[in-house]
Amino acid sequence: MTPELRRSVRQGLIGGAVVLYLASVGMLVAFDARAIITNVVNFATVLIVITFAAFGYLAGRPGKGGEPAQPFLLAGAVTGAVAGATVGVVAVLVDFLITGLEWDVRSMWTSVSPTLMELLSFGQSPIVGALLMTLLGFTAGLAAGSLHLATTITRKVILLGLMAFVFGALGAPLFKVMLDGMHIPNRWLFDRDGLTITGAIVLFAAFGLARLGSFRVGGPRQALLKVPGTSEKNLRWVISVLALLGIAVLPWIVNDFVSDVLGFVGLYILLGLGLNIVVGFAGLLDLGYVAFYAVGAYSVAILTARSSYLVGGSVTAPAVAGYTNFWVAVPITILIAVVIGVAIGAPVLRLRGDYLAIVTLGFGEIIRTLVLSDWLKAKFGGPQGLTEVAAVPFFGLNTRDPQILYYLIYAFAGLALFISYRLKTSRVGRAWAAMREDEDIAEGMGVSVIKYKLLAFATGAAVGSLGGAFFAAKLSVANPGSFTLLVSINVLAVVVLGGIGSIPGVVVGSLVLVGLPELLREFGEFRLHIYGAILIAIMILKPEGLIPDKRRALELHQPDHQPEKSVLSAEATEGIQ
Amino acid sequence: MTTQSAAGSRYRLFLERFPVRRFVLVLLALVIAYGGAAGSIATLRAGRFSGEVWANLFISGVARGSVYAIIALGYTLVYGILFIINFAHGEVFMAGAFTAYFVAVGLASKGMLESNPIISIGILFVVSSLVSMGVAILLERIAYRPLRGAPRLVPLITAIGASLFLQYTFRGFYGANARAYPTIPAIQGTWEIGSFPVQKVHLISILGAVALWLVLFWIVERTRVGREMRAVGEDREIAALMGVDVDRTIVFTFGIGGALAGAAGILYVFLFNQVIFTMGFFPGLKAFTAAVLGGIGSITGAALGGLILGILETVGPNLFLDGAGVPSPNQLIPIVAFGILVLVLIFLPGGFLGAPDDKSRA
Amino acid sequence: MSHLLDVKGLSIRFGGVQAVNKVDFHADPGEIVGVIGPNGAGKTTLFNIITGFYSPDEGTMIFDGHNISGLKPNALTRLGMARTFQSVRLFNAMTVLENAMVGQHTRTKAGVWGALTRSSKTKSEEDRIRERAREVLAFFGDRLSGREDALASDLAYADRRRLEIARAMATDAKLLLLDEPAAGMNPAEKDGLISQIGRLRSELGYSIILIEHDMPVIKSVSDRVVALDHGEKITEGTYDEVSTNKQVIEAYLGKAAEESHL
Repeated sequence: MTPELRRSVRQGLIGGAVVLYLASVGMLVAFDARAIITNVVNFATVLIVITFAAFGYLAGRPGKGGEPAQPFLLAGAVTGAVAGATVGVVAVLVDFLITGLEWDVRSMWTSVSPTLMELLSFGQSPIVGALLMTLLGFTAGLAAGSLHLATTITRKVILLGLMAFVFGALGAPLFKVMLDGMHIPNRWLFDRDGLTITGAIVLFAAFGLARLGSFRVGGPRQALLKVPGTSEKNLRWVISVLALLGIAVLPWIVNDFVSDVLGFVGLYILLGLGLNIVVGFAGLLDLGYVAFYAVGAYSVAILTARSSYLVGGSVTAPAVAGYTNFWVAVPITILIAVVIGVAIGAPVLRLRGDYLAIVTLGFGEIIRTLVLSDWLKAKFGGPQGLTEVAAVPFFGLNTRDPQILYYLIYAFAGLALFISYRLKTSRVGRAWAAMREDEDIAEGMGVSVIKYKLLAFATGAAVGSLGGAFFAAKLSVANPGSFTLLVSINVLAVVVLGGIGSIPGVVVGSLVLVGLPELLREFGEFRLHIYGAILIAIMILKPEGLIPDKRRALELHQPDHQPEKSVLSAEATEGIQ
Repeated sequence: MTTQSAAGSRYRLFLERFPVRRFVLVLLALVIAYGGAAGSIATLRAGRFSGEVWANLFISGVARGSVYAIIALGYTLVYGILFIINFAHGEVFMAGAFTAYFVAVGLASKGMLESNPIISIGILFVVSSLVSMGVAILLERIAYRPLRGAPRLVPLITAIGASLFLQYTFRGFYGANARAYPTIPAIQGTWEIGSFPVQKVHLISILGAVALWLVLFWIVERTRVGREMRAVGEDREIAALMGVDVDRTIVFTFGIGGALAGAAGILYVFLFNQVIFTMGFFPGLKAFTAAVLGGIGSITGAALGGLILGILETVGPNLFLDGAGVPSPNQLIPIVAFGILVLVLIFLPGGFLGAPDDKSRA
Repeated sequence: MSHLLDVKGLSIRFGGVQAVNKVDFHADPGEIVGVIGPNGAGKTTLFNIITGFYSPDEGTMIFDGHNISGLKPNALTRLGMARTFQSVRLFNAMTVLENAMVGQHTRTKAGVWGALTRSSKTKSEEDRIRERAREVLAFFGDRLSGREDALASDLAYADRRRLEIARAMATDAKLLLLDEPAAGMNPAEKDGLISQIGRLRSELGYSIILIEHDMPVIKSVSDRVVALDHGEKITEGTYDEVSTNKQVIEAYLGKAAEESHL
């Protein structure tokens, strides 16, 4: 076996294992419910094809010096076929276990359902199914491998076309709602929850051609700049204005459900911006960020609630409670959050990065446990939490209406965005940047590390508590179930995906991680699963995130030169030994 | 521009010299010590619990602590050579125990658990250890190896992702429900030690943990691969120059940490009887606390930390809080664990047996 | 009493090793003091103590009339002390200009409020920071000024050393502590450095303490040389006095002899 062939086989085996993994955690069956082209192909099959193709593409990649390491087509096809065969063989074996040996596989592997077996064998007998799967792998691998023969432009055009087609199909329910909202006929494009065949061709062609066109003039930006009378500066203005307009009209072209989801996205933008100040600007990994979110929600709840437990019953009411106006409660809430942030931060900020992360996580859990306990039930309502939190009063409008609340949340998200930008590009931002890159040296240059860490903590806490305040007012309750560690991790994922330290990254991260799973219900079930995968994948492949912050990207690619013990010179090391 | 006098004003310099942090810490320590002592005295005065209850709490604490200690070894080993917190170690622990559940059910259906308890338990240990070891090695290969030498933040975030990913992977494999382990009749009930009844599972967990700990200690201190592990932890580059296969040593470290976690998983189900895909997270965090408490990187420290944490968890809330009039003090167990974590990291970042703090302020 | 920096009886211990032992040390305004000694003599440890990175076990330190023991590095910077590091430590993800701008931190005030409102005061302060940063870069001629938007990590080695000095200058210090500024430089660069250190004092009025292994550099710039070995001060005086001191020669030769033995 030549090394090339061996490599292809190995890639194929990994590819097959990936598909089997997707099958065994239940993703394939769940995604089978989502049509890509209605009545033609479902997302499960597309996912299998994408996996085969991806591994075929990788296996067919030319060697380092641009020289083809092996014939592309062969490598891709072999990889795909091996992957397909792997899946097929395992499917046959499992079928034998179930029908031949009568072992109830499903009592252990809960996802191995008849539906899955049928899906993997394309509704045929197991052996025929395995052959079909191998053929599918072969074809997908061959096609993907042959992409290497095309010019860069052709390849990119085809890839963008395919992506547009897949994402267009996945987003079909949302886009359909939006088009309906704008009274644009779309029966030709979307059919129920998937694309029509025409729609698929149109999307592929439209995006492919657009990409091709933009290549001609050197990219989309250049294409726009070619239009007479535009310059970098007014282009940016136009884009900002369009974005603002888009945000403003969005609730009116989507339904209430989508507005509600967008409200959540806004909330996460707010939280993400707050955490971004702590993690991205100051470089402190805070895994207990949910604590501030909870502080915000509970403070507002206690201050504004018309809760029965506060008024009646045997439970004593807190000293200041109930019936306070939301807008009076918010500054008090922020103040409380800042005080708690500083109180938590002060003793632990000297800790090294990874310890700080764990300690903050511990604080988050301590706060949650306290809130949940019988001990403080009189104050926080125990597991039920506090109910009847007042809605946000706003010129007599009904702010429980998602479309109205949407504007309020986005107004504050915009404020947080503004604050982030201003801080980042100021003397304070410079001090943070210096501190997170090299704490010792920053201190040596006169930056008071404690002060700036506390400042970051306090600012992050204030923004986070604002998010909590809106959350409580939105849902009219504050209960401990909403403030688990997972919230901290979600917000972290938002920041990490978008790009640590990147302000637009937070917006994109929220849209992708919070918006998409809500809209694609089939994904919702696997949301945390996918978050986990994203955190790993991003850190390994692109630690600077989707929309990198330039400086942070450089830092994340610097090798870790920080010595184990904070020692300033070789001499001191000698001294210690 | 700031004038010279303001920059150097006595008042300002005094403030900066004043050890605010130490002051706050001492104050905090005094408050906690006072609270703990007052609570304890009140509890003991009230005499709600007999000596036997305390003894039982203590023993169950030791048993629980033994399990923490064995999981903690995994953190300590990995930290000792890679300086990363393998946040997903709790999930490695879950993977073994959860998988072994199905073996246990199989054995139970054949009546093996009743007829051959020792062989069955042996099988469970082996299965659980092998699965956990496999997961740990895969974890290293896929998630951590590509990140060697990256800034600290990067592997930590990866580890959090891995933790979530593993939890939901096993949820996908085995379902979202909690499952009760089949009972092994041979280890139910109590043994009389002197005239004092001790639950069998407690004693078995403690003895099992001691055995595992001794095996590890022997591997690290007496074998070639243990020497290589220590060498890599000391200085990876020099170890490589000396002919140590660094990658293999790191894989071995993850593997052995995983195997221990798997074994601890079986001890854990002896004590708590239940498996679910989320079961690894909090024991993992507590084991990390134990590792930090004892001094991360120290094998003896992990054992010590685990025991202290286990005992504080069972005895602590009843002793400190019950007398203080806190209702259902056992709800606050997580606060004990995390409170200790926070306090240890603040007051004694090196743990009991870790390296002493150096004089650098930075 | 008119010493700019006056250190008495400074000691620090790391585990079983007395890294610095009862060192008395001073620097006067406008003086250039060289600190020499073999590797492991405690030179950098001494710097780390003076600049607040380590707290000494014993000893008093007076700087510019203030008792500075127990102060953190940032407070010392504000009082007018700035240093460079043996292994050049720049903010690599920042541009050359930004590195120098960080140096101005203690001389400026804008906080969160200023950042948010971006008032005219904040703006003019920011302009002043930039102007001052350009000024210190210009001291090293085109090598830095011409590349103010380059990343610090992209600079050549000698320029990185220069930038580190520029960053220290940007703190508006009275006293600069330079830790092996000539390390890794070629002879031409060393000559440049010698003249620059001279100008730092004569044109800009800095007092300077420098650790250096390179004897020609020490000889050319130092008014006074302090020799350390095993954490103790073995002698002090002009270069000629120190370089002919028996103990100093032994400290160096002894080391060399040991090395050749290995």
